[in-house]
Amino acid sequence: METQKTLTSFLYQFLENSSEKPALDWLNLQAEKIHSDGTPTKFFLAFSQASRYFKKLPINLSVDQKQKASELGAGFDPAHWDLLQTARTILLLQFPQEKKAWFGAINQLFETGDMHEQQALYSALPILPFSEDLLPRAIDGCRTNMTVIFDSIALNNPFPFKYFPEANWNQMVLKAVFMQRPLYRVQGLEERRNLPLANIASDFAHERWAAGRPVMAEIWRLVVPFINEKFLDDLKKAIGLEDLLQIKAAVLACTESDFVPAKKLVSNYPEIKKEIESGAVSWGKIGIEFQNRV
Amino acid sequence: MEMYIDPHIHVVSRTTDDYEAMRKAGIVAVIEPAFWLGQPRTEVGSFKDYFSTLVGWERFRASQFGIIHYCTMGLNSKEANNVALAEQVMELLPLYVGKEGVVAIGEIGYDDQTEAEDRFYRLQLELAKDVNLPVLIHTPHRDKKKGTTRSMDVSEEHGLDPKMVIVDHNNEETVKEVLDRGYWAGFTIYPHTKMGSDRMVEIVKQYGPERIIVNSAADWGISDPLAVPKTAALMRKMGIPEEHIRMVTYRNALTAFSQSGQMDEQDWLNAKPVDQTRKLSGNSVLRGGQTPRVEGNHDTIEN
Repeated sequence: METQKTLTSFLYQFLENSSEKPALDWLNLQAEKIHSDGTPTKFFLAFSQASRYFKKLPINLSVDQKQKASELGAGFDPAHWDLLQTARTILLLQFPQEKKAWFGAINQLFETGDMHEQQALYSALPILPFSEDLLPRAIDGCRTNMTVIFDSIALNNPFPFKYFPEANWNQMVLKAVFMQRPLYRVQGLEERRNLPLANIASDFAHERWAAGRPVMAEIWRLVVPFINEKFLDDLKKAIGLEDLLQIKAAVLACTESDFVPAKKLVSNYPEIKKEIESGAVSWGKIGIEFQNRV
Repeated sequence: MEMYIDPHIHVVSRTTDDYEAMRKAGIVAVIEPAFWLGQPRTEVGSFKDYFSTLVGWERFRASQFGIIHYCTMGLNSKEANNVALAEQVMELLPLYVGKEGVVAIGEIGYDDQTEAEDRFYRLQLELAKDVNLPVLIHTPHRDKKKGTTRSMDVSEEHGLDPKMVIVDHNNEETVKEVLDRGYWAGFTIYPHTKMGSDRMVEIVKQYGPERIIVNSAADWGISDPLAVPKTAALMRKMGIPEEHIRMVTYRNALTAFSQSGQMDEQDWLNAKPVDQTRKLSGNSVLRGGQTPRVEGNHDTIEN
């Protein structure tokens, strides 16, 4: 209850700064109604009609606000949210959290949601109650072909990191690679690296190369803890492609590895080594550079 | 580049080739009325998933080809005859009518003009009034003239303003009354069963461009997703003034359906360049880095 209030007022400040009074009045009224009467019909209508009052303009978080969000929701990261999904999340937080009725209503929203409604629902996962019961929903959501919806689960969202079993985590990360999504925005990517995923990444790279297609450079971050002769061969192949971004990524992966032959390889690239030390080359920067290319 | 709106097309049934051809021909926006699927549904869940497709995947798919997709929501007249199912669909509709890009309640009206059709038509007219949305009326193939008159009579009985009602699938026999009574008159250019484009040119010559709206109603049958731009081309050739062509193939549809508050010219005039988070890649319509093909067929398929 207290958490809901704190989250609501935290989110509300972004709307207050950038929305018009009639929109805020509407939201307050709906929130009050949902809170007090708890019938799903009004809730559904308000959730849909929020699009008539709030725009899809970004909310801008300060560094402090980012920190605060993360504390509030254990890794909650709304930095890429827009006003509309913020308003919808506030509405979500008002629905009385009696488990059976709550799931009845939320399931209906998920099943009938349009693209932006689903985006709001999945990005709100880390601050919704009954997290463990929402796991099948989140896993199913990853099967979408709509990038906006996939991103709302996979990127800047602590939910998969915290709750996905390894197989589902690996499927999500591989799909992110396949869809060329920015891996540096996947929360817990390093903490949840595992050997099966590293092998899948390697196989994927081989498949792409066989088809004469490039592989995104961020993929090499997945193999770092497991680098052996086999993975080192992949990294050498990536370096051989003469694409500077691939070279940077492969050298960065070798730098972070404990495998001696990989460490040795780094010494062939003193310039990149220096850039890694200065922070000019990092996984985040490689990811950004790749996204700017796509 | 000319801009066209096709305000009645069932794009879920069309291919990506059609989308590419439509965009190339100047279609900037489409409206997809909820309709039947060529055979009757037997479960309410099929309606739910269909409605979700109209506001979800299909809208997304259209956007990949630079076309803005809107839809209308409703229980069609054919399937209104399965009363038990129809009642469940009526319970579902309030979940969808308030969604973004839903520009009317439709297509609703009469098919065989049965009692059940009448009942669900009236219920949906009331729903349209409640949520202040325009209505798109499907007029019957058989006993058309009477069915059209009855559709308007009943709509007026429920107190709807003709300005909020688009009566679709008109022909030479129905157009005069529809226009005289103040309704928007839709014309569907659809081979064999509805209008041909030559006849359409004659109608615009005779009645002028006021409140006349041309559409394709292209679906899973033999139909043409380019019917609107093709009819415009024919009108041009036959000497119809450019301003009149613009009204019947673009402006009137926009005026009629933007009464929903859900359709705005800026949606396509100011469309963001396809942004990264929306660009399709991977297991989807367009593969990573691929751009929609606009020329004709090639002998090779891009890697």
